[in-house]
Amino acid sequence: MTEKTIWQVWSENTEKAPDSDAIIHWKAGEEPFRWKKSELLETAAKFSALLKRNGIKRDQVCAIIIRHHHLFYPLYMGIVGLGAIPAVLAYPNPRLHPDKFRQGIIGMSQRSGLDFIFTEKELEPIISPLIKSSTIKGLHYPMEWDLNQEIPSAEMDELTAARAEINPADPILLQHSSGTTGLQKPVLLSHSAVIQHVEYYSKSIELGEADKIVSWLPLYHDMGLIAAFHLPLTFGIPTIQIDPFEWVIAPVLQLEAITAEKATICWLPNFAYNLMADKIFDDELESVNLASLRQVINCSEPVRAESHRRFIERFVPYGLNSTALATCYAMAETTFAVTQSKPGEAPKQVYADREMLKQGKLKLIDDPSQARICVSSGHVIEGCGVKIVGDNREELSSDSFGEIAISSVSMFDGYRNYPEKTAEVLSDGWYYSGDYGFMKDGECYVIGRKKDIIIVAGKNIYPEDVEDTVSKVEGVLPGRVIAFGIDDEALGTEVVCVIAESNITDEKEKKELRMRILQATLANDETVGRVYIVPPRWLIKSSAGKPSRKANRERIDEQKEFLVV
Amino acid sequence: MISDKLKNAILKELKLDDFKIEDETKANQIPGWDSLNHINVITAIEKDYGLRFKAIEVLKCKNIGDLQKLVDSKQNK
Repeated sequence: MTEKTIWQVWSENTEKAPDSDAIIHWKAGEEPFRWKKSELLETAAKFSALLKRNGIKRDQVCAIIIRHHHLFYPLYMGIVGLGAIPAVLAYPNPRLHPDKFRQGIIGMSQRSGLDFIFTEKELEPIISPLIKSSTIKGLHYPMEWDLNQEIPSAEMDELTAARAEINPADPILLQHSSGTTGLQKPVLLSHSAVIQHVEYYSKSIELGEADKIVSWLPLYHDMGLIAAFHLPLTFGIPTIQIDPFEWVIAPVLQLEAITAEKATICWLPNFAYNLMADKIFDDELESVNLASLRQVINCSEPVRAESHRRFIERFVPYGLNSTALATCYAMAETTFAVTQSKPGEAPKQVYADREMLKQGKLKLIDDPSQARICVSSGHVIEGCGVKIVGDNREELSSDSFGEIAISSVSMFDGYRNYPEKTAEVLSDGWYYSGDYGFMKDGECYVIGRKKDIIIVAGKNIYPEDVEDTVSKVEGVLPGRVIAFGIDDEALGTEVVCVIAESNITDEKEKKELRMRILQATLANDETVGRVYIVPPRWLIKSSAGKPSRKANRERIDEQKEFLVV
Repeated sequence: MISDKLKNAILKELKLDDFKIEDETKANQIPGWDSLNHINVITAIEKDYGLRFKAIEVLKCKNIGDLQKLVDSKQNK
């Protein structure tokens, strides 16, 4: 168990190299804003003082909803420095209906006990109605605060003394693991969990003082917050932060940042490999040099061999070392990583018989034409343990196919205010991940999920949410809808499909119904890729009387005439 | 004013029969135009017009009206 708090670690890092870069805030078409360690920590301390003046107290949960801004980082650190708990929430996508956004925050606040929201003035009309309908006590606009004012030394001394009272076992941050709308699961992590994770995980990726992280990952996601923000800040190396909204429009931004800053490590969800390989054109790559990259770590979506192949083929001519591609298996509940492939070695691949996998069995074969290529997520990192279990959580031999259960020194203590959900997944120190996979030669292969979650571009979408929305669309028979994900090899991720029962038979009216379904789901920030309109009583019901996702998904494969385009 | 050519390029790529697209319409208000599809839509427009946009030029477009202006300025060069 570590005996330091994160603030102490940040202070020690600053003392060692006050003038070195901590965070390079990247903005398209502008000079990056560079936070030196000393300036960053001083500004964070100032934020702590201003937060205190605004009535924020130790242990209160402070949600941050701010789009890519250079003041985000010292604000977050200032909350930590006060002993309060930062919780980064997603900035509302403009397509998301304000009611849906508020519904999500209300749901979160009931579990997480959000006390304050720190946001931008622009979001006031959307967020202010929440004050009366949730646990939220107030809204603050920290970008408007006067950071040039002097804070009296007595006030700063008081803060320093209060900071010394913070215990390493105290909570440092709150993350939200995925869940259906309004039911995201709050994960509270302690200072020691994060520090220990940084210690063990940095060993597994052989992190050194010369490393430089580059990331466009949103900071409300564990991969962005822990891997690309806490890890470098705690280890004392720089991180380059790119706006996720800008990256998705111009993915070349990341390559420009790598070239300019000689960045060495990044984490990417699988779809990003396809997007970057297929959608960045030669003329944008003229001055790109990726020779500095020593690890590009695939995490948070199932790893696809084809995506790695495309990425290597596209970028080796621009200096990428093909062995830089790496893999990791991670989740918010264990702070972040559980397994990691070895640096400098291409992740292993094995071929699993596709038909056997459909029956929930594992048979490794030599013929790739009949196989699903399974890419290893690497060895279990120090401080973690993995076992494969069956339907009744009985331990199976490690090369069997089953649910992946994890133990970790950086394990969360349970979902905040959600004992029933905690009891479902946490037992005797093991976290039951809901992911299916197997172990081979000490390496972990993750190949499926117990639940029907659809992962689109790293974002978890719950079919229930899509089905609820589509059920309410005029022309759809209520409750007679199923949603599921299918693999899109070209995109390197899944697309959402919907099968809806309707009395409509006219082809023109079916197209109008499809448009209504697309617009309804759009307002929930869910993009539906395929819509099938089927006649009443077409959907097969499960024994519980509800339309079965699995059975109907298989049925529609053979009856593609119901696809409406 | 959004030209029929630009509107049709967008609708065709997103497989939409029709959708009202005006100067103030934002990409994310058009069904199917999400972050994953964004580059496909831009590529389809580039192909239809025989043009190439720089990523930074597209980033500066706040709505479809701005995209139309970008297309027009490239065509007039």
